Amino acid sequence: MSNETEHVYDLSGVLGGEALSGVRPGTSILLSGPSMTGKDALLFEFLAHGVGRGESGIILTTEGEGEDTLREIESYTPDADPSLLAAIDCRARSGRETEHLDSGAVVYRVVDPSDLTGIGINITTHLDRIRSSNATACRMGLTSLSTMVRYSDRETVFKFCHVLLQRLESAGFIGLCTLNSEAHDDQTVQVLKQAFDANIEFREHDGDRQVRVLGIGSQPSEWQTLG
Amino acid sequence: MSDSEPVVLVVEDQKDLAETYYLWLRDDYSVTVAGDGDEALEKLDEDVDVVLLDRMMPGLSGREVLEEIQARGIDCRVAMVTAVDPDFDILEMGFDAYLSKPVMRDQLTQTVEKLLERRAYDALLQEYYSLVEKAATLQASKNQSELEASEEYSDLLERIEQHHEELSETLGGIEDDDDFIAAIRELSDVERN
Repeated sequence: MSNETEHVYDLSGVLGGEALSGVRPGTSILLSGPSMTGKDALLFEFLAHGVGRGESGIILTTEGEGEDTLREIESYTPDADPSLLAAIDCRARSGRETEHLDSGAVVYRVVDPSDLTGIGINITTHLDRIRSSNATACRMGLTSLSTMVRYSDRETVFKFCHVLLQRLESAGFIGLCTLNSEAHDDQTVQVLKQAFDANIEFREHDGDRQVRVLGIGSQPSEWQTLG
Repeated sequence: MSDSEPVVLVVEDQKDLAETYYLWLRDDYSVTVAGDGDEALEKLDEDVDVVLLDRMMPGLSGREVLEEIQARGIDCRVAMVTAVDPDFDILEMGFDAYLSKPVMRDQLTQTVEKLLERRAYDALLQEYYSLVEKAATLQASKNQSELEASEEYSDLLERIEQHHEELSETLGGIEDDDDFIAAIRELSDVERN
């Protein structure tokens, strides 16, 4: 855990509700639910909101393109400094690539989501960048664990999450990962949930997309409808 | 890992250096010395926990010895001793650490300790996963009241909690970038084997 002055992460600007207003550094949150319930959009908003508060952000996208993903995140916070952001995507033609965008953001590429070492090295490079800049806080997003499971297996992905989230925890950062709960059996979902401190559950209810927060505070929050 | 002293294999062609490393390590470890790559492969077996491998040797290079260690599937950690300062590339190649010459006593003993600790971390993470998987199986097959009544389940949760704490203490919860990369690379290695 971080010994520096405790930076408390305020995630409430995105979802509302008290549960997310004072998230302690090092917390990891799983965003899980069926497909098309808005997990990615919420994840991007969490990152954008952090950047708007002067925090750094890094997004790992297993299927999307890095620069597009950064643009989507920036669209939620047009006034923020884009150089606080970095993306890792899995679309390198060969080996590993690094691209510095005009905005000051960086896109790192690996060949596919099974290159865990490459992903780890890129994360480390971003952590170095944060250390040498003024940002002392960072939110890391990962979408999605489901694709990672497809490229390796649930045991490897569980361990990867554990190691990654421990690294983020000792740096005092926040980790947010998405999981498509329909893509796996119950047991796999249960296993992966165990790697996280908290869970934001998504569901479709009467034509609305709803979320609730579990694991932060003693009680699960009420279901709330996403706008 | 056995309960007896960890085994360190020192591979170094300069006799005086090999002797120095031996003297520094012998109090805490069971140390074997090999004068070149071929001798190293002869002396390499399942009991070896840590290998200190000189990069530049006549005959087999450090890299080639590492490849053979990997090919044999021997579960040991390998530190490369080198005259130049390498980057993460070295970790990617499959080395677990590197030491730049000239090697100081504290550096050497700390590196060996660190590698043994990483090994313990990997083993602990494996046990942790097994427990989590068992708990998940119960969660997926039983309802809440059945879970609450199950002694096996509460026992599992307790052990999961213990492992979680132990993992947070090992490697300081992975505070260091080299440990982070090494722990992640280990996952890919396991997958490939």
